[in-house]
Amino acid sequence: MQRALTAEDKEEVVKELIRAGIEEEIAEQIKGEFIPAELTIELDELLEMQIEEAYARDILMVQGRREEGEVKLGDIELKVNKSKLPELIKGELRKKLRAVRDKLSRRKLDEILKKVEEKYEKAKVEPREAVGIVAAQSIGEPGTQMTLRTFHYAGVGAIYITLGLPRIIEIVDARKKPSTPAMKIKLAGEYASDRNKAEELTMEIEETYIRDIGKVEASTEDMSVWVSLKERELKRRHIGREEVEEKLKGLGAGVLVEATEDGKLRIQVQNKFYHELLRLEEKVSSTLVKGIEGIKRAIVRRDVDGEYMLYTEGSALKKVMRIEGIDFSRTTTNNIAEIADVLGIEAARNAIIEEMMGTLEEQGLDVDPRHVMLIADAMTMDGEVKQIGRHGLAGGKASVLSRAAFEVTVDNLLEAATHGETDELKGVTENVIVGQPIKLGTGAIELVAR
Amino acid sequence: MEEKREKYTKYEKARIIGARALQIAAGAPVLIKTDEIDPIEIAIEEFEKGVIPITVKRDK
Repeated sequence: MQRALTAEDKEEVVKELIRAGIEEEIAEQIKGEFIPAELTIELDELLEMQIEEAYARDILMVQGRREEGEVKLGDIELKVNKSKLPELIKGELRKKLRAVRDKLSRRKLDEILKKVEEKYEKAKVEPREAVGIVAAQSIGEPGTQMTLRTFHYAGVGAIYITLGLPRIIEIVDARKKPSTPAMKIKLAGEYASDRNKAEELTMEIEETYIRDIGKVEASTEDMSVWVSLKERELKRRHIGREEVEEKLKGLGAGVLVEATEDGKLRIQVQNKFYHELLRLEEKVSSTLVKGIEGIKRAIVRRDVDGEYMLYTEGSALKKVMRIEGIDFSRTTTNNIAEIADVLGIEAARNAIIEEMMGTLEEQGLDVDPRHVMLIADAMTMDGEVKQIGRHGLAGGKASVLSRAAFEVTVDNLLEAATHGETDELKGVTENVIVGQPIKLGTGAIELVAR
Repeated sequence: MEEKREKYTKYEKARIIGARALQIAAGAPVLIKTDEIDPIEIAIEEFEKGVIPITVKRDK
């Protein structure tokens, strides 16, 4: 394991460091600081590790040092990297270890790593484990403890978001639109640090109709619709009168708009029919002047990092994407179908996991994320978001008996019979029904004589 | 019998021990020296010593 560090080795390490994105100057400097003793691990191994840039230097500093004394950052980096853990756990472990570095000794560090590796091994599932059933039970049981109330205070201003069991059902049913769509919009640059700028954005995206900024009246006297704009609302939302006029002219060909001297707008009806007048009134009042359709309200909040961000009632991911001042890569919506549409199926899978874990956590329930991940995988594996029930996952099964066992038994059997379907008896449910051993656990193992 | 033993999953282990215990219970000759009389206990001991002439078929 131990080997003297040659000049070529140094050269190679430096090259690798540059490749990893470290500036040449710093890499050269590190080369000068190599302890001339020996490598405590093989060079190949070292080069293969994914070392965080900031700690590359620390690793090289501990090379060749004897196994005693205080724990250096490099030790943590090196030992964690050497362990047989997945990258995600490694990262978390590193962060935690760095925080308690002064209380560690190298022996303790080794001990901790051993324990973590042990725990990780234990947490793995063995082949042929019935993971689906375990996942179902692991979400079903906490489900019994969840609130049944549809609405719940979300903790941010006065925006209400469906939580608890109703929300879980919504996710699992893969609804096209959640009952309470909402977005969390992160901001970029100075929008994130300046409250006023963030407030301005609020006005920019909140949907504003004519009826929100003025009074719309239909007058049978002169057969026209009168709009009296409220000065205060216009100012607050940064809307100019000309803008409104412009929008109204865009209503259709032959629409006559004129401004009177008392500040009112008059829109004339072409055909002097009463129902035409009413239709025009409705059309005028629901004309979008500013903002994004679907964003009913937006409020500014400060997040945990002290950044200003927006919470919205209503969701329109695609349109929000184009607004200046928004950090789209960190912006999310609770509408999973929308995410699948705009960002793709992998993003949708992620959204399902995040949303479900979020709702469970909000209710104080501790569920292993792997169960939720399995569900998300099952829902998205065909490239589109499918619901769990009879119109999705369960209904799409290949086996007649399995489908019949789930819901609408007679319909399924009849349908299968008219088409002359065959059941291959490959799944679990079918084999339980016909009374054969199932291909799970011990039932899936075939013995051979040695 | 110090050949390199395969690593079995808990399901494979259960299946092998179960099958072997059945053989022993039906009168098959025991392959180790033991004081145990319970076929399952005997099978477990045989399994631990790696002398059971049964393996599993893998990779289907």
